[in-house]
Amino acid sequence: KWTNRNRVLVFSSRGISYRGRHLMNDLRKLMPHSKSESKMDRKDQLFVINEICEMKNCSKCVYFEAKKKEDLYMWMSNCPRGPSVKFLVENVHTMSELKMTGNCLRGSRPLLSFDQDFDKEPHWKLLKELIIQIFGTPNHHPKSQPFVDHVYTFSITDNRVWFRNYQILEEDGSLAEIGPRFVLNPIKMFDGSFGGTTLYQNPKYVSPNEIRRMYRSRGAQKYVHRLNAKKSYEIRRGTGDNTYKSDPTDEVFVTIRPEDAEGRDKNTFFRNT
Amino acid sequence: MNNLATDGKILFGREESSAEETELFRYLQEAFAAGRLKPGLSVELPAKSQVNNVAGMKQKLKEFQNNLEWIERLDLTNAPAPAAPGMELEGEDDVHNDFTRELRFYRQAQASVLEGIPRLQALDIQTKRPEDYFAEMAKSDDHMKRVREKLLEKQMSIDRREKVRKQRDLRKYGKKVQQEVLLKRQKEKKEMLESVKRYRKGQQDKIDFLNDLDDKSEKPRNKQQRDNKKNRINKKREFKNKKFGFGGQKKRSKMNTASSAGDMSDFNPRLHQKKAGKPKAKMANKRPGKSKRMKNKNKKR
Repeated sequence: KWTNRNRVLVFSSRGISYRGRHLMNDLRKLMPHSKSESKMDRKDQLFVINEICEMKNCSKCVYFEAKKKEDLYMWMSNCPRGPSVKFLVENVHTMSELKMTGNCLRGSRPLLSFDQDFDKEPHWKLLKELIIQIFGTPNHHPKSQPFVDHVYTFSITDNRVWFRNYQILEEDGSLAEIGPRFVLNPIKMFDGSFGGTTLYQNPKYVSPNEIRRMYRSRGAQKYVHRLNAKKSYEIRRGTGDNTYKSDPTDEVFVTIRPEDAEGRDKNTFFRNT
Repeated sequence: MNNLATDGKILFGREESSAEETELFRYLQEAFAAGRLKPGLSVELPAKSQVNNVAGMKQKLKEFQNNLEWIERLDLTNAPAPAAPGMELEGEDDVHNDFTRELRFYRQAQASVLEGIPRLQALDIQTKRPEDYFAEMAKSDDHMKRVREKLLEKQMSIDRREKVRKQRDLRKYGKKVQQEVLLKRQKEKKEMLESVKRYRKGQQDKIDFLNDLDDKSEKPRNKQQRDNKKNRINKKREFKNKKFGFGGQKKRSKMNTASSAGDMSDFNPRLHQKKAGKPKAKMANKRPGKSKRMKNKNKKR
């Protein structure tokens, strides 16, 4: 009865923050068909992961790569030879946040809900298939529960994949959020597992290093802007030929009528009582 | 300028040749005229290589697709479910509007649930956990207790704030009512005095207004009511006033000043100006003197 022998290896690299670690543990809890592995040193090459997967008899892999103790990247891959995707993980909220009020059976099978945008582009279609195979709990898995009481949503907004996990409270569709929550920003898709030719590269992806650099260099732009502004003023001001030559002695004997006085000049004619 | 088109951001201050610079500025002007330039810093990103191997992806998809039945995969693709009538906020498809975004995800999940549950029930898979089925949950009972406590705390703080607001409104209303009552009393008093004056002066014949007197149940009549908190004399305050009020102690002040010598409050002229008059009845009852008593003693027998 248990035919779909899919197993997912979920592990991380060294240098992962507490939030990333909790996210990884939440995913392990939610997926009964997952296997864990100790932290891998980032010095090793990525194709070593394929060998680890083979040793553990896993066909899929979710690998969290942490860099600079700030950025969290996630690899999703179909291990022997299938495609793999690298994401930047943003906006992580774990299951243990007190605002997530829902709860579900441990190991129950989820409903997977996809946005309609997943059928529009080929790279989204590929991603959808990969997600279904990784996150879908196999039917009649020994550690799974027979009830379907929660639903995963994957939506596409702003060229990113948003993940939410809701508990089904009533049959009419009232839901409570269980968590975790995260946003995946796709970077690249590869033909092979953790390597191979690039199938797709996200043109709108900006690496977090670049974003930080842009923020830091904003201060430097001030000086450059000021120089440019000065230059443009000189240009606009004009040279000697096209400006009207004014004689300063013209203004010495200027008198105005009392009616035409404005502002402070009025004091010369009218007393402030 | 492809990278500029995709990002809409342009960098200033880079070392460029003059030809490139003029072209850049011309592009900028066009973009501004077309309204494509957004406010803020514009940065030119380095030209990126675009890879979109559609054929490769399609082939890969075909290769690794496992065409299992729906019951193994449980996937659904939906548009968000129609929103409740009051919550329609279409057209605000902004990522940064948290509320509408989360609402959209919620509605997508709802649509899936509404479609998925009948399908599951058709395949004889239960979706509701029976009441007596106890199994390990994803979050521990302890954690759920903490969640419930937090929710309760929030609810209680809301209730408390509501109560305080209501009390404040009530107090304001009460104050207004009190002022009105005081004004009414003053007006009635004035009217009464006017009527009495008019009657005395003979402008008003009738004395009916006395019948319209309010019953004196308002004034505290007995000593107990008078000595309420409002009317009680503060002994301490009285003492302090006597000791320090109006210039302070008189005990050790000067005794033989011009004002004290000219002070005639101890002089009662009536004591010395009175003429001798008839002895009063009291005088008549007074006991006679010794000689008179001696004389009358023997006379009595």
